Amino acid sequence: MNTPFPPQHPVRLTRRVFLQATSGVVAVSILGVPGLRAQPATDAPQTAGVATERIEGRAKVTGQKVYARDFNARDMAGWPAGQWYALYLHALTTDHAFLGIDLSSLPPAAQPTRVVMGDHLSDSQRAPKLRLQRDLHIDDLVVAAPGTAPRATAPTAQTGSFDKPPSIDYDLIVVPGNVPDYLGQAVALLMFDSLAAYRAARVFMQFRDADFQSYAAAETPSPGLGQPFSPQTTYVKYAEGGEHFSYASADPSTYMTDVPQWQAKIADTIAGNPQFIRQSIGCDMQAMDPVFMEPEAGIVWHEAATETLHIVLGTQSPDGDVGDILAMYEEADAPFTLANVVLTSCYPGGGFGGRDSSPFSLMLALAAAYSGDAPVRLEYDRFEQFRIGLKRHAAVITGQVVAAPDMTLQLVEAALTFDGGGLRNLSPYVAGLASLCVGGSYRCPMANIFGEAVHTENVSGGSQRGFGGTQAFFAIETALDEMAIGQGWDPVALRRANLLVQGDTTVVGGPVVQELRLAEMLDLAEAHPLWADRAQIKADYAARGLTYGTGLAMSLQAYGTSGDGVVAAVLLERDGSLTVQSDGVDMGNGSATTLGVVVGPILGNNARRVDMGCYTLFGQTGLTTSDPAGQRWANPDWTPKSVGSSSACLTALHQVHVMQQTAQGLFAGAILPAARDLWGMPALMAGETAWSNGLLVLAAGGMPPLSMQALADAIYARDLPRGALGHAYFQQFWAEADFPTAGGLAHLALDGLSFYLPDTATPVQVTRQNATGPGTESSRFSRTVWAPCINIIGLVADPTSGAVQVENVVSILNAGKVHVPQLVSGQSQGGVAMAISYTLLEDMPPGMAGPANGTWNLNIYHMARAQDVPMAPVYTPGGRAQELVILPESPGDNGAGRGIAEAVMCSIAPAISNALRDALGVRYSSLPITPQKIREGLGQ
Amino acid sequence: MISFTVNGMAQQVDDAQGDDKLVDYLHDQMNLTGTKFCCGIGVCRACTVAVTKPPSLAASPVIACSTALASLDGCAITTVEGVSQGPDLHPVQEAFLQDFAFQCGYCTPGFVMASKIFLDGLAVRPVAPDQLDAAISDAIGAHICRCTGYVRYYQALRRTAVAVMAGVGP
Repeated sequence: MNTPFPPQHPVRLTRRVFLQATSGVVAVSILGVPGLRAQPATDAPQTAGVATERIEGRAKVTGQKVYARDFNARDMAGWPAGQWYALYLHALTTDHAFLGIDLSSLPPAAQPTRVVMGDHLSDSQRAPKLRLQRDLHIDDLVVAAPGTAPRATAPTAQTGSFDKPPSIDYDLIVVPGNVPDYLGQAVALLMFDSLAAYRAARVFMQFRDADFQSYAAAETPSPGLGQPFSPQTTYVKYAEGGEHFSYASADPSTYMTDVPQWQAKIADTIAGNPQFIRQSIGCDMQAMDPVFMEPEAGIVWHEAATETLHIVLGTQSPDGDVGDILAMYEEADAPFTLANVVLTSCYPGGGFGGRDSSPFSLMLALAAAYSGDAPVRLEYDRFEQFRIGLKRHAAVITGQVVAAPDMTLQLVEAALTFDGGGLRNLSPYVAGLASLCVGGSYRCPMANIFGEAVHTENVSGGSQRGFGGTQAFFAIETALDEMAIGQGWDPVALRRANLLVQGDTTVVGGPVVQELRLAEMLDLAEAHPLWADRAQIKADYAARGLTYGTGLAMSLQAYGTSGDGVVAAVLLERDGSLTVQSDGVDMGNGSATTLGVVVGPILGNNARRVDMGCYTLFGQTGLTTSDPAGQRWANPDWTPKSVGSSSACLTALHQVHVMQQTAQGLFAGAILPAARDLWGMPALMAGETAWSNGLLVLAAGGMPPLSMQALADAIYARDLPRGALGHAYFQQFWAEADFPTAGGLAHLALDGLSFYLPDTATPVQVTRQNATGPGTESSRFSRTVWAPCINIIGLVADPTSGAVQVENVVSILNAGKVHVPQLVSGQSQGGVAMAISYTLLEDMPPGMAGPANGTWNLNIYHMARAQDVPMAPVYTPGGRAQELVILPESPGDNGAGRGIAEAVMCSIAPAISNALRDALGVRYSSLPITPQKIREGLGQ
Repeated sequence: MISFTVNGMAQQVDDAQGDDKLVDYLHDQMNLTGTKFCCGIGVCRACTVAVTKPPSLAASPVIACSTALASLDGCAITTVEGVSQGPDLHPVQEAFLQDFAFQCGYCTPGFVMASKIFLDGLAVRPVAPDQLDAAISDAIGAHICRCTGYVRYYQALRRTAVAVMAGVGP
């Protein structure tokens, strides 16, 4: 029998890296979930490479402490038992100067121990110089809006403050006398040294914000409202008559200067072809709350004696969060000197992007300075989570699609304006990716696209499932459908006439080098009875007095960023078990489970332990992102990017790749030489071996099988590597290199490999040779890997009430290699439900009419429940199902999976709108499509 | 005094704490954090626990975030921590695991508790097979899950319910 999976749960772990801060070197350590009990292996037979349950599943299903909200100081070894509680008060207006707070009406039993106002903070606390590491290259996209002067280059990772667009300063706590920058911005921090007082204050103050805050009577608009966050995005492409211009191919230094003349050329081309068919794009969508189920919470403790900041947090971006916290405490005016940061990284109770660069971590860390030596707990309730938690952006998209009479698309023109809300966060990058996605799945010789996120008073937008694709695909797919209807074209035929294939270029101008298989997917969609029989189905519903419609939409969601660094470690323990470590975070998407099994085919056994959030591993690789001599790949220590934030879509390709390549490194450097010794075959090659039931065997036979225990014994006895640490970089393709090992020269798709030797904690870097990697040109392709999906929706609409019920969903998905089928279908099912909810149910007005007023909760904000979602897994006529059709793996996938966590969601909304157009003859282009909007569209 | 049990452990609370919510008591006083706080107003049902109030022998689902301690005098409360002992899980917990029913898992304790109550009732009062889906919807249809789309929760519970009605468990 192979190694059971899931196996024993990870125990407490420590990894440490030293970061250079302004004030000196700070040691950062990452700890796993404390006190997590080991879980028993299941009795079921296990197979290498196959998951039978989630690795953290037993802990979750039995209610063990795995989330940050579960922990208090008393649960943390070495912490004081007592703790303080932090409560922020939030701004109520952006039109009047904040004057102060008055807590005199608060009962004595609810009085805070300490009140912290904005003018109590040092400069670095009030407005820390935050870092930005989401996307390596997209800052190149800094361009000007049409008709405006070019803007300054965006801040760099080293110097920038990512919530400070030009001329706007945002303070973590508003200084009295200043006008708040956005609704919900903190105006005061109340610190309580007892739970009773904290609870009493919460109860007394809830929904009574105005009773405790005072503002100037004079109206003074907040400065900066309406300004775009930098960078903005302009993609202009012209590929007609032998002329070529695009963002990707143009000289970056002259691109923006040249843009106007090519925009004019596009206009001239369109004007010169009156036979072209123009279809306007015009849609808008509301903000959306991610509603991850665990409201953000955490505890922090400044241990003065050791100059250590201890943090317990559940985050998607541990690297960014720790960096931002360091920015707060590294300056000379910081309230204390920081020598160590210890982050206990918990499983997030949901994420969907809402915990990616969330301001929560900073607000938690800020409170640490005001509790003496006591730990502090900050916990949002659901009202606060609605009030200040990151949102999916509201957006307005306008423009046009132009096609020739033969259906071939000629131009996609779009202006995308995203409501960035208060903090810049990742908003401009979301708008940037939306600007790519609005080109859809289609070949198009001309594009004129401008995307930006604008600073408003509203709740801040951020990274959310789809990362702008959700809005952009709605725009293009509804416009195409309307064009088809207007011309009497078959909507599938219109799409088929324009599908992107390998060798084409996107609206950015970057080449499509990945196999997409869009035509094959359209074939499947067209043949599926939900689409093929749609007329008959509609007639059947009509015979029952019901109004039915069918809609189809495509999406080509990119995953990853324009350049991704990932890191992984694979360790062979003395008992022969495997431990794997990743910088990724498992938000529930199953990353940990997947990474635990993908080493199975390479090392014959699944991992027994999986440690996530280990971004500090990069600090042990010996690699650097500094390359002052410009050697790039010739510099054996250089890589373009260390690690980035964690998103669900990064697992299937990126995290799996680095884990498997690192496992290959361990095989070459340790398993193979150990086998040579044990079998007395010094010339043994990897290809002569195989794994069978967890044992290494000689394929030709004649030698005793080697157990992992035997191999581990030999490896530890012979001082061979007990583990490997790998770093990989992807930007259109993977960096590769040769690495000398005890088993011979290993050619791996890694740019860094290190080995852990027995009895040493620090790995030894293997000097890479013959390294090759992505060049600078592909950094301007925006994205290069895709997860295509087609959704077909069948729905019933009640013209009288405006009620809509989705009857059937068929999702056709190119997922590449599927590592864990249950996780892929689970991501699809979650995406379907979230998208139906987004399209039909979830509504959130801006300003103080919305969640910024502090009264919003799930009684007001309606989300999809089970009855709103088709539940059966296979479509049957007359039934109600969501069927997922996954393309069989293709040789073109090269064994790689695709990041599909966002893919299925992206084309649900336009498919619903298209189905409503079919059902009711009305185009609904404003989300959410509520019953009221349905009725209004019908003139009621 | 207000008296009740939690997972068999006797609890006595001063009447002055009668307005305190059960979820806070579980978290703060007993350090039982398996019962999850999510919306705090009784909508999402992530905080569902099983409460048996004599003379009834059957447990009912109770929303811990919105239930005052004063209303629990004499009750026996079971939280997710009390559903199984040792390595052997309740059949619905096993089913949720095997079917990959949950993702982030924060709503899972609520689903576990509602499902356990449902299955316990089903063992005593089976429903007609054609009524099973409706009965499952009654049991967990009001629960909110953001990650999964509910499909696998329903599949897992249905499979377990069929086994219960066949006399296999729980």
